[in-house]
Amino acid sequence: MTATTRTTADTLPRRKTGSVRPAGALGPARTSRKRSPGKTILGVVLTAIMLFPIYWMINVSLTPQSQMRSSPPSWFPLNPTFDGYAQVVGQQLPYLGTSLLVGLGTVVLTVAVSAPAAYSLAKLRPRGGGALSFILIVAQMIPQVIIAMGFYAIYLNLGILNQAGGLIIADSTLAVPFGVLIFTAFMAGIPDELMSAAKLDGASTWRTFVSVVLPVSRNSVVTVSLFAFLWAWSDFVFSSTLNSGGAQQTITLGIYRYIGNNNQDWNAIMATAVVASIPATILLVVAQRYVAAGVTAGAVKD
Amino acid sequence: MSTTIIERPEAPVPAGGPATAGPPARPTVKKRFRAEQLTAWAFILPVVAYLVIFYAYPLYRNVDLSLRDYTVRSFIDGNAPFVGFQNFVDVFQDPTFGPALRNTLLFTGVSIAFQFSFGMALAVFFFQNFRLSSTLRALFLVPWLLPLIVSASTWSWMMNSDSGVINSVIHGIGGAPVNWLTSPQWALVAVIIANVWIGIPFNLVILYSGLQNIPGDIYEAAALDGANAWQKFWRITFPLLKPVSAITILLGLVYTLKVFDIIWIMTKGGPGNASTTFAIWSYQLGFGSTLPNFSPAAAVGNLLIVIALIFGFLYLRVQRKQAQQ
Amino acid sequence: MISFFRRKRALAALVGLAVAGATLTGCASGTSSAGGAAPKGTYTFWDPYPQFDASSAWTKLVEKCGTEAGVTVKRTGYDTSDLTSKALLAGQQNNSPDLLLVDNPVVSTLADAGILTDTSETKTSTASVEKNILAAGQIDGKTYGVPIGANTLALYYNKKVLDAAGVDPSTITSWDALTSALEKISATGNKGITFSGIGTEEGSFQFLPWFWGSGADLTKLDSSDGVSALSLLTDWVNKGYAPNSVINNTQTTSWQEFLTGKFGFSENGTWQLAGVKTSGLDYGIISIPSKSGGAAPAPTGGEFLTIPVQKDTARYQVSEKIQSCLTSTKNYVSTDTTLSYVAPTAAAQQQQLAAQSDLKPWVTAVGDAKGRTSDNLGTKYPKISEQMWKAEQNALSGSQTPAAALQQAQTAAAAAIK
Repeated sequence: MTATTRTTADTLPRRKTGSVRPAGALGPARTSRKRSPGKTILGVVLTAIMLFPIYWMINVSLTPQSQMRSSPPSWFPLNPTFDGYAQVVGQQLPYLGTSLLVGLGTVVLTVAVSAPAAYSLAKLRPRGGGALSFILIVAQMIPQVIIAMGFYAIYLNLGILNQAGGLIIADSTLAVPFGVLIFTAFMAGIPDELMSAAKLDGASTWRTFVSVVLPVSRNSVVTVSLFAFLWAWSDFVFSSTLNSGGAQQTITLGIYRYIGNNNQDWNAIMATAVVASIPATILLVVAQRYVAAGVTAGAVKD
Repeated sequence: MSTTIIERPEAPVPAGGPATAGPPARPTVKKRFRAEQLTAWAFILPVVAYLVIFYAYPLYRNVDLSLRDYTVRSFIDGNAPFVGFQNFVDVFQDPTFGPALRNTLLFTGVSIAFQFSFGMALAVFFFQNFRLSSTLRALFLVPWLLPLIVSASTWSWMMNSDSGVINSVIHGIGGAPVNWLTSPQWALVAVIIANVWIGIPFNLVILYSGLQNIPGDIYEAAALDGANAWQKFWRITFPLLKPVSAITILLGLVYTLKVFDIIWIMTKGGPGNASTTFAIWSYQLGFGSTLPNFSPAAAVGNLLIVIALIFGFLYLRVQRKQAQQ
Repeated sequence: MISFFRRKRALAALVGLAVAGATLTGCASGTSSAGGAAPKGTYTFWDPYPQFDASSAWTKLVEKCGTEAGVTVKRTGYDTSDLTSKALLAGQQNNSPDLLLVDNPVVSTLADAGILTDTSETKTSTASVEKNILAAGQIDGKTYGVPIGANTLALYYNKKVLDAAGVDPSTITSWDALTSALEKISATGNKGITFSGIGTEEGSFQFLPWFWGSGADLTKLDSSDGVSALSLLTDWVNKGYAPNSVINNTQTTSWQEFLTGKFGFSENGTWQLAGVKTSGLDYGIISIPSKSGGAAPAPTGGEFLTIPVQKDTARYQVSEKIQSCLTSTKNYVSTDTTLSYVAPTAAAQQQQLAAQSDLKPWVTAVGDAKGRTSDNLGTKYPKISEQMWKAEQNALSGSQTPAAALQQAQTAAAAAIK
């Protein structure tokens, strides 16, 4: 990813000139642009297979507990029950609230920490910046379980166990290295002229960053925010290590509770799962292209 | 790739012009240079603090744990004797080591092989731009965005021996039910299936982006030469996608080695050791039994980090090589 | 560790410094923990009941006992599975809670680590507690806490299913009788029995009645008696008397299987009693039979209320007040009724029985039950247990024969406890 960062700026013009074409309009696409119902049908079938587990999750969430173990299982929720959802509303709403709070907090913290650093790495050329980029990549590879144990000891002493604030910091560590890498890749592509212009007007580096660089990089802010939110939302290891005893618990922990010792209520588990999946689905619908961008940025160099 | 999906910062870029982002003019005054360095580091400082507190300290702890003999008692009083690499030797000699190594390799290797080939096939398929193709491709991303605990729970219920829908289908077509999660032959297969399912979208997205960067005229030329679809794939698409593929696979390796939630929720590494990987083993030692075995757990964890690091370096090399091309 | 980092260059040195900083902070706040993390007048209380929230009767009771002792109690509920690790880490950081409620097989481990005070230090009275229940918290003549309640295992049966198969539950007093009953039930199209064989402490807990009932001893897992116990369960799975899902069943999952009404028996615990009554199932309870006849010793379950070691020993006095408040006869009755446990003192048991006569078989069962860490196994138990549940997993799933699985387990256990 370091390499990408370095070369983005150089490759930008070439890319622009070399590939002036709408996405997917060329290549094999052109020859088969004509209507091909066969492919659409195949595509729908494949998607249906892929999404079957999600359908099943919804189906089970509507199946009454008494029919849960019937054989064969009912393929359609013919007698839907909303007990599971009633339980979610009754018991899990505060959890959803916590997850939302933690997710948003993580987004703010991640962007606040990673965007300035990325700006520096991309444009200010700090000494040791290369080493830092490398460390950031390595950091992403360390299993979370190991990090979580260290966190526990630190938090215990700081007295911030079982608090949403502590979890926000922990969750943001998942997203900060990623955020720095994405931001760096984006910001490296900003023409220097923009910044020189600001500087000529007498703006400080910080001011330039806030009023020129950030607005221009708003797309990357969206991408990083999306991922920070999704990761915080789906985090389980941190919330179970650092936050399982508090009043403010997350939705993944809520699901785990259902699976754990005290309950094995699949109807309610799946209802919670459905509810917990809603943010991901909304984000996907609203911001599909940013999600795709996040997956690819840094991973692909063209 | 990113050009097509990500909107670049909208600065006017002269078509065909020289690279706009040349290095800035070097400051001539040394003092100014130092001031700039200070500013640059001020921007980075929060991230450095982050790394030190939240990554370096846990890592240091983990290394320390693995080089001393921590029992529950010495864990408390802090007098664990230094034993060098004894914990690693013990781990290598443990009867679980062989199966865990085998399972880790199988889990990672098979998962990636399938994720990648399905991802590739689907990317090529969706690249054909038929009606609904972009909508369907977006839907393919959903599994990847769900919380892992949700996906794993769903799969474990679908694979339930007695009440699962998968066995019901198998029964419907006349097959014998499979004890997906409870038989030593199938448990690993079961978690691999779930993991492949979760990983396909990731592979699909990256490879799709890679496809978008293959110049269309190459295909047109091939079409003129009378190449069929199969030949086009093997002679053009596949070779040109090699760099992207290499990175997809390496990233996949690094992420798959870490996989914990899916296996833990579905099988807890069982039955016996049938689906125990290094990540699971480390957790079992440290948290899974009544009596934590911190030192061997840390040793296994460190082994995992070393393996991930090796692939990490490999990843960097590939990236650098591509950058040079 | 600093020397380790010093060899690296500038950046690494920075890292080392900050680590040292973090460690120092750790020590600093550690020493001040009694006054800092838990200000005077606030006592911390950890338990493995995350299902009870702030508005629950349990939390209210804990808080009330604090108020009576003149302090505020801050209660935190953790999952049973990670309470041990968390208690150990807290002990390491000199930041233990004032009161800790833990699963009984863990008590000896925590005591051995030096985290727990024994009852003589805190002047806690344990005279009224039943000996066999208290034994789980005793090592080398010292007692490390007071049980909050006890539970054990028995066989629940479904009357309808048994009647359909013509099985009389009162005749089931030995393994042979049980197995032939299971055979008859299976012939009617129902499943014979369900239990929990998952690869955790729950699996060992459920295996123990059969293991002990064979006459086997935990110090020798692979004795012929031990093998006969594991073979019994394995045969049930192989013959289809028990479903294959027992390999991954927790006690709750196996209970839900039983509630479908298609199972003859369920090996399960005291705590299911409240649920079975509301389920509408026509049920009965028998003791788990031993191999040759009569009731097998079942393990005692349930938590111990312990007082972890504090820097400021003056805190023990208040902690002990809270402890004795929670273990008063009146509070035993209300707590153990909520948890569906059996109280650990004769007086409280009498009151429970007066209010709830169907608890009778359970009171008897708890009276006959045996602590897992008893026989002075103490800290060895968790290590043996881990090998035992692995052996059970291997045998039930068919990857090893019961004899081979237990032999391997014995070798590993012997190595672990030496």
